Amino acid sequence: MKLELRDVSKYFGGLKAVDNVHVTIDKPELIGLIGPNGAGKTTLTNLIDGVHKPTTGSIWLNGARIDGLPPYLIAQRGLGRTFQVTRAFRRMTVMENMLVPAMAVRPNAEKRDVEKKACKILELLTIEHLRNELGRGLSGGQQKLLELGRLLMLDPQIIILDEPFAGVHPKLQETIHGYIGQVRSQGKAIILISHDMDSIFSLSERLIVLHNGAIIADGLPNEVKKESVVIEAYLGKEEGEGDDA
Amino acid sequence: MRSLGAPSIMTLVLLLVVAFAAPPVMGFYSVPPYWFHVAIVAYFYAILASSWSLLAGYAGQFSFGHMALMAVGAYTTGLLGRYLSFGVVEGIISGTLLAGLFGVVIGYLCLRLRRTYLALFTIAFSEILRLTLMAEHEFTEGPDGLPLTPLFATTSKVPAYYAMLGLLVVSLVFMYWLVNSRFGLFFRAIREDEEAAAAMGVHVVRYRVTVFTISSMIAGLAGAVEAHYVEIITPNIFLVLQMSIVIAMAVIGGLESLIAAAFGAIIIHFALELLRPVGNWRMVVFGLLLMLTLRFFQNGLLHPLLQRMFRQRALAETVAKRQIPSEG
Repeated sequence: MKLELRDVSKYFGGLKAVDNVHVTIDKPELIGLIGPNGAGKTTLTNLIDGVHKPTTGSIWLNGARIDGLPPYLIAQRGLGRTFQVTRAFRRMTVMENMLVPAMAVRPNAEKRDVEKKACKILELLTIEHLRNELGRGLSGGQQKLLELGRLLMLDPQIIILDEPFAGVHPKLQETIHGYIGQVRSQGKAIILISHDMDSIFSLSERLIVLHNGAIIADGLPNEVKKESVVIEAYLGKEEGEGDDA
Repeated sequence: MRSLGAPSIMTLVLLLVVAFAAPPVMGFYSVPPYWFHVAIVAYFYAILASSWSLLAGYAGQFSFGHMALMAVGAYTTGLLGRYLSFGVVEGIISGTLLAGLFGVVIGYLCLRLRRTYLALFTIAFSEILRLTLMAEHEFTEGPDGLPLTPLFATTSKVPAYYAMLGLLVVSLVFMYWLVNSRFGLFFRAIREDEEAAAAMGVHVVRYRVTVFTISSMIAGLAGAVEAHYVEIITPNIFLVLQMSIVIAMAVIGGLESLIAAAFGAIIIHFALELLRPVGNWRMVVFGLLLMLTLRFFQNGLLHPLLQRMFRQRALAETVAKRQIPSEG
């Protein structure tokens, strides 16, 4: 597997949302992607999965250029994502939600086998008993679990999890931690976007920090967190520091 | 995906038996042929309502162009019959295919349009088509009406009754198969959240255009058959008002159920005929019924009843959050 972003920038009018990002992911690893609000994390995700097209630069997946491709094609090529705000299919049952990605990427699969796989995943996520409930009948946390389950049905090589812990109580966070560990052990690459620093530092093998659309740090989590540019990005400059007297 | 159990199939079979046995029974009791005509038109509206329900209820595409596509089917067979001596069957096939082609074009043109804009676009398309047919009256006969070859070479309405009933059954069976296949799954996923569906690998463009094409072909087929039955067509058959009636039938029956939409159309059409003695007040009643349905029965009036009748697993919405083991 290989995901490459080569000098990717994105402008919305005069606003530079992503600034000359150059990143390579070429092995199974869990990469934390952090940054203050408005740093460009979700925009970067939308660029990778085809929702937006880069203004400049290119994105490559397994040696093939994917920027400009529609999202469904990028998903079929092995890249899956969740959304910052959960987007379960509300008037479809949990089981139907799970069937959509599986049927989309493997149209010839036997429905019975697909449903069996879905049940196993729902069990792992502790929501198998809700398989016949409509998406809108689930709690926020359960909808998050459903979205994660859908991702497993898609079975991508590279996964982007956008704020999977947001608004979720600690017990459910444990379930999601377990899910991430399970997915990681399947040899996938995971990009984890989160403001939950405890989870980021406990799970990540590599940390990328985004600020004002640009990457300001990329390396081992314990080293990155000590870098002054990272501290400055989150906490701001100290008073008197760098001021012209 | 819902499937029908044994009691449901038996209920459907019973209803079909009643429908197919109706003509000889009506003949035995000397029911006036007028009521055959009412039934034929009711089945025609049932096809339109259910095919519109496929497009709007299942796929979330609120098109106001459905009657226009019905008219494409009707005028295609009429014009081909008049100027190229096409037979009834060839004309109906051609009308169906051309309606499907229009569906493909509209489907692509409407890809980026949602809800209000899609509705406005399709209203505009419908009006453009109607005004073109009116303007080209030397070719289409305009409001004077384009005559067509009769559907059957008989004055009896029984063959047309069975033809329209058969068409209704076949189209419902086909659409039922479609919505219970992965096509239906994708239509509904796109309706719910197009962006999320695309992120799950669903080819959104393909399935949006597919559902537009299929529903257009069904509307065109119904239009072509109905045109040969009534033997004359005018551009007024697809006024926006007519479209509104089809929409109202589907909504009152049940927008997200093909069978409920079809039954809604049949019952409402018969009811409107029975209420003829009260004149235009029947449309007032119809309008009030629509308002009540929209306000209090958003799943339609018939859909809940049919669910009980067919003993489908009710997908009742949960209101309270459920306790799951990990949440304690």
